Amino acid sequence: MTIHRGKKERLFRFAPYVIIGLFLVTLPTYAGVAFVSLLTKILIFGLLVMALDLLVGYTGLWAFGHAALFGVAAYTTGILIVHYDITSFWLSAPAGILMAVFAACVFGVIALRASAIYFLLITLALGQLVFEIVNTSLGRLGELTGGSDGFGGVPYPELGLSFSTTSYYYFVLAFFIVCGFLLFFILNSPFGHSLQGIRENETRMRCLGYNTWLFKYIAFIIAGLFAGVAGVLYVHFNGFISPEGVGFGASGLLWLMLIIGGRGTLWGAVIGSAVILGLQYYSGVFTPERWPLIMGACMVAVIMFYRGGIMLHVTNLWKKASSYGSAKS
Amino acid sequence: METVVINLLNGISYGVLLFLIASGLSLILGLMGIVNLVHGIIFVLGGFAGLTVARWTGSFLLAVVTGAVISGFAGLIIERAFLRLLYKQYLEQVLVTFGFVFIISNLLLWIWGAWPRAAFVPSYFDGSIPIMGFYFPIHRFAVIAIGAALAIGLWWLQDKTKIGAIIRASMDDKEMVGGLGINLTPINIGAFVLGSALAGGGCVIGVQLFGSIAHYDGMNMLLVAIAVCIIGGVGSVQGALVGALLIGIIDSFGRVYFPVMAAWTMYLVMIVILMIRPSGLLGRKL
Repeated sequence: MTIHRGKKERLFRFAPYVIIGLFLVTLPTYAGVAFVSLLTKILIFGLLVMALDLLVGYTGLWAFGHAALFGVAAYTTGILIVHYDITSFWLSAPAGILMAVFAACVFGVIALRASAIYFLLITLALGQLVFEIVNTSLGRLGELTGGSDGFGGVPYPELGLSFSTTSYYYFVLAFFIVCGFLLFFILNSPFGHSLQGIRENETRMRCLGYNTWLFKYIAFIIAGLFAGVAGVLYVHFNGFISPEGVGFGASGLLWLMLIIGGRGTLWGAVIGSAVILGLQYYSGVFTPERWPLIMGACMVAVIMFYRGGIMLHVTNLWKKASSYGSAKS
Repeated sequence: METVVINLLNGISYGVLLFLIASGLSLILGLMGIVNLVHGIIFVLGGFAGLTVARWTGSFLLAVVTGAVISGFAGLIIERAFLRLLYKQYLEQVLVTFGFVFIISNLLLWIWGAWPRAAFVPSYFDGSIPIMGFYFPIHRFAVIAIGAALAIGLWWLQDKTKIGAIIRASMDDKEMVGGLGINLTPINIGAFVLGSALAGGGCVIGVQLFGSIAHYDGMNMLLVAIAVCIIGGVGSVQGALVGALLIGIIDSFGRVYFPVMAAWTMYLVMIVILMIRPSGLLGRKL
């Protein structure tokens, strides 16, 4: 890398963001409603998987209960709107996100007592705790969450605007861009680099005087925060949430997205989410009852043969293209 | 008082079933470092195969053996064809087993259909024994007895035999055991197959407690078994037994006294124990 960047090189550096941004912004003008709706879902899950990537790819924490934090936010916002008539977006959304952050604070304290595979085991069990809580159909709790059936009837956010599929897509896109770049800046800040240091060699970081526990804890809470944002966006988008979206299977699906996209690449998470949700959508058209089989086979195949992820190829391709482009001048 | 005794017996019999699942999980995790997520569905696979054989032949013993063999074979294939290639890549191994959870459960759904399979109770386990005015079914006692026998057998294997000594040693230091000229590959395969077979055979025995089993039960049982491993501690027969009995009894009493919280009381217990002893009640140091 040269110190003096030419104009052309800078162009190549920012070109992908501009192209993808233009594509995403203009898309609803020529794509159908079904596709726009699918893309909204991809962006929401992309954000969720990016938050997971902060933990897995950058900090080296194998969190297997990430869907639970998402679910905490989605359930909180949904329950406030449907059962308590707190319809204002400015109250219900922050409440949902705060609950997710609170859950992350609690889970972090418990799970960070262990590391590596035992961390995975404990986050898995904690995620299951959330699943079981929302899955209970007895008592007042069951009335609120709807038990194993989940509950529906969550409208688009109340902001004095009338949302349609397309305008909600723009709403989600705005959140996605803001949160995506926030994550990008967090990961490229000194804090983000310390997280990567912890991933590579925690003992060394501790010897250098870092309080690694605190760094990991903060990373866990940040991931919970963005998972909460995704949860709130999702419950408004889908209008419906059930325990299935919270449990073990959902968390694993996020992992599949992350690995296909590429660990530790941030934007790869969105590619993974697009691949998997696209696959789910089309398998839903042809053989909905075989989707778990396809998903499981994907997981095995990706782990056995394609651990690097798609993003690796995309960046390599882009590097080649840009070096070719700048060499020409 | 009577309800306490009955609940205690129910809890112990459920705990014994949990022990049959969790001991395999704990053995595989302790020895090979693999969180074997496919364990729950292998449990159901063995149950389905065994119950089908029981319908055909009417023989309980044959059903248990079939369940154990089929599950052990499935474990063997997964270990040899996939997990072996990911040696020491712990995260990747977990994710592969996660993929297999969905593959096998969907195949079970495809082959056997969506309805639950009814349990097979052999004629010699029919009837019940009166205890303080209550009638407690014999087959529950049978489950407890079989589980106790297996627990003693496993403890003997772990603590009194040479193989057990190798297993305990390699949980502490694999490289050193390998360096002493002991080939660990057959030990690993054996542990994986034994764990899977225990789950499969255990399902045919233990399904009498539930009355029926369906393909989606695998996931639930797996997650309970994971909680057992966390509570009891990974890597020993005693740990799995203590964790399983504790969860079985807590679950049984929870369903009677706090029905709303029944499903998650055990997770609360797990959290409390984790806060006090991160490595579980009888676990090795993490």
